[in-house]
Amino acid sequence: MSDLLDVTRRAAQLALASGAREASAGSYRARHVEVAWRDGRLEKVTEATTRGLGLDLYVDGRYASVSTSDLRPEALERFITDAVALARTLSPDPHRRLPDPAQYAGLPDVDLDLLDQSYQGLDAGARRDAAQAMEDAARAVKGAEAILSVTTSVSDTSGESALVHTNGFEGARRATDFWTSAEVTVKDPDGRRPEESAASGGRHRAALESPDAVGRRAAERAVARIGAVKGASAVVTMAVDARAAGRLVGALFGPLSAASIQQKRSFLEGKVGAQVGSVRLDVRDTPLVPRGLGSRRYDGEGLPARAFPVFERGVLRNQYVDCYYGRKLGLAPTTARASNLAWALGERSPAGLLADLGEGVLVTGFLGGNSNSTTGDFSLGVRGFQVRGGRLAEPIGEMNVSGNHLELWSRLAAVGDDPYRYSAMRTPTLVFEGVQLAGT
Amino acid sequence: MTDAGTTQAGPTEGIGYFERFGVTEGIISRTLSTALSRGGEHADVYFQHRVGSDIGLEDGAVNRAYASVELGVGVRVVKGDQTGYGYTEDLSLDALLECARTAAAIADGPARPGPERLHLARPLPDRYPLRRPWGEVRPEEKLPLVAGLNARAFAADPRVRKVNVFLRDESGVVLVADSTGRIVEDRQPMTLLYLSVLAEQGGRREQNGYNVAGRAGFEFYTPERLDRVVRVAVARTAILFEAGAPPAGEMPVVLAAGSSGILLHEAIGHGMEADFNRKGVSIYADKIGKPVAKSFVNIVDDADIAGARGAINVDDEGNAAGTTHLVENGVLATYLHDAISARHYGVSPTGNGRRESYRHPPLPRMRSTYMLPGPHKKDEIIRSVKRGIYCVNFSNGQVNIGAGDFTFYVKNGWLIEDGKLTRPVKDVNIIGNGPRALELVDMVSDDLAIDEGGWTCGKDGQSVPVSQGLPTVRVASMTVGGRGT
Repeated sequence: MSDLLDVTRRAAQLALASGAREASAGSYRARHVEVAWRDGRLEKVTEATTRGLGLDLYVDGRYASVSTSDLRPEALERFITDAVALARTLSPDPHRRLPDPAQYAGLPDVDLDLLDQSYQGLDAGARRDAAQAMEDAARAVKGAEAILSVTTSVSDTSGESALVHTNGFEGARRATDFWTSAEVTVKDPDGRRPEESAASGGRHRAALESPDAVGRRAAERAVARIGAVKGASAVVTMAVDARAAGRLVGALFGPLSAASIQQKRSFLEGKVGAQVGSVRLDVRDTPLVPRGLGSRRYDGEGLPARAFPVFERGVLRNQYVDCYYGRKLGLAPTTARASNLAWALGERSPAGLLADLGEGVLVTGFLGGNSNSTTGDFSLGVRGFQVRGGRLAEPIGEMNVSGNHLELWSRLAAVGDDPYRYSAMRTPTLVFEGVQLAGT
Repeated sequence: MTDAGTTQAGPTEGIGYFERFGVTEGIISRTLSTALSRGGEHADVYFQHRVGSDIGLEDGAVNRAYASVELGVGVRVVKGDQTGYGYTEDLSLDALLECARTAAAIADGPARPGPERLHLARPLPDRYPLRRPWGEVRPEEKLPLVAGLNARAFAADPRVRKVNVFLRDESGVVLVADSTGRIVEDRQPMTLLYLSVLAEQGGRREQNGYNVAGRAGFEFYTPERLDRVVRVAVARTAILFEAGAPPAGEMPVVLAAGSSGILLHEAIGHGMEADFNRKGVSIYADKIGKPVAKSFVNIVDDADIAGARGAINVDDEGNAAGTTHLVENGVLATYLHDAISARHYGVSPTGNGRRESYRHPPLPRMRSTYMLPGPHKKDEIIRSVKRGIYCVNFSNGQVNIGAGDFTFYVKNGWLIEDGKLTRPVKDVNIIGNGPRALELVDMVSDDLAIDEGGWTCGKDGQSVPVSQGLPTVRVASMTVGGRGT
């Protein structure tokens, strides 16, 4: 640990010695192992220890940001010297500088428990056994005779990183993560080979579901895709399951960055304090969740992490403001990027939401498409199920939803009780009314 | 900046460039022997040094630069369809042997011998000769280019409010050596220029842009190309003020010549990557030799478009790379192979084994994918449509390999009514099913264009540069993700 911090300090000092007025240095080192298993045997094993270093250089009012994996001392010295020279050729930018040291104060004194101490005890056999168990469980589900192929994966990373600013900030952290996933392809009688997947993951191994549960869920989802049809174009009530909902939320949160706002590419510009969504849209940014996938004590600029509301009963409360674009906009920084999201959850389970919904569709996956951050228009490929009489009916695919985010979120009618645990966005099932669906 | 690959031209035998990092034939031979020490059938090492540089303009000033260096090596061992892989940034013998031992563990049997000597299998072409290698281009030459584009974009239309420009250049060198004794070094330059425009009119805002990319040096930026970048970026933005959503539902879709090749990339290209077929998970598995399209449909994936972003001299496994015919006269002809799938199918590699970097083992990937010209004319195709859409340019696409559903997102297009382009449309996703969409390609024009844009293809967490192209094509029916009827 101290070793990596020392390397990072030396790089920051080297930047000053090479002519930078101030600098930020960040470095990482990680060990990563991944075992992929397919149809009864190992498919691929990848194992590596990897490293890298990045520097933000502030040179005579100018700015360059550089990264390298070539840490040989002479190479690093030359790299930094060249980068400082490159920065000198640029136009000055009065908004580029390290945060004021006063902004580093208040670093939360908490143990986020991001490191699983049992990581060292893992062996290749345990990973392989878990990968095999996922396949076995997949092949044991009802309808498994349709399965063409099962690919499973078990991976883990143990990493450390350090961040040093030449005006006083120093931070270091260690973290682990563990992931299991299964992908199942089945034979549709019409010749298609629909695929589905399931995953599980967390900072500690204990967060993982059993391999059986992951394998079974992937296979059940794939079998359920057999016979998918294209439904009719219509305006419908649309539920989006917890796993898929992150795609919509990402398109809502991207335009909250100060960079988007300052560059006039945000349909949410000027909306702080305004009603953006329905009262069901209620989300906080919570960086200090123990073992959270997005947890951190300080952000990428060395600012202390703190929780804040993003949407309260549909009203936009905060944007994601980094120091640079904050200065351009005259706004105090919050943080550049989302950490963990915490949703005001509903009381209904996904099945209960479908029962309430009656007639409509459940979206279980998006395919391609895009959202225009400037106008809020979106158009996204979808797959999922028809919902009839409050229950899942036939699978649907090759369909599309279109609209504008400001309309969409104002029609958020219900939120589930089921945050998706395997993403820092922790999205629950979301139900929207009046959504344009395109099909036949 | 560091001078990755500024002097040599074309692929070369032996260790030239990587000598400076202390790489020797002895180190490579010992690594390959260790890699085969547990019975692997094939092993390779992939050294990479890639130096990238970006300069960016925002709010009227060229005030940011980004530089990156990647130096590392990956060691791969193959046994049948199984792969062991290790990588490191440390090019010492000890670190390489550790990677080799890690990768070797995929196999479990008696050791096989490594290569006795290393040699270039055969001469390879030079598809990206450089006149102005990036290592020789000083920032003082790049800065006026970037600043000039900003000024011209503002001058082109009074509605322009924000302009962003990024100029990226890359000088990369790779060395591949394998257990058959092949060794090759290749220099792999790349450049990309992106101009983004934000315009305002009557309280509304629209944003769009244009980008160009190629395996080329500074000579890529001719006055004509720079003119086109400004003209197209501004025009594509301005027309959005007049554009709306097309109707929702199934209708004929006409694809303009050029970047519409994204149709092929998603509808068939990925599904023809042989790893998905040997695993039986592609909708195209079992379809080789079968008719999949009308007889005038011919689709290729080509390493040999000189200077294209998708061009390669040699693939990332050291195989010669040429032109692969996916569809010949409407019949499915050849999958895109890497070494593993080629052995699996008992065919020659097609030079499609590519990787993002030394951190990844190679996979079958596309290069430049396009459709050959057909018998129809562009005007005839547009005239033939009673009510449909004409798609001009695209931002992204995606496919489900097995189900076959694919999408592409149309940034600019037109509604076609009674055989005429009537009003502009924007921001619409189009969704189809690969084999069905190919069957429904019923008109192909003679105006093939390979797009000059900076396309990047993602698969298994790996991004590689690709190109695509298409003549004007009509697909009789696809679902347009519009609004209303």
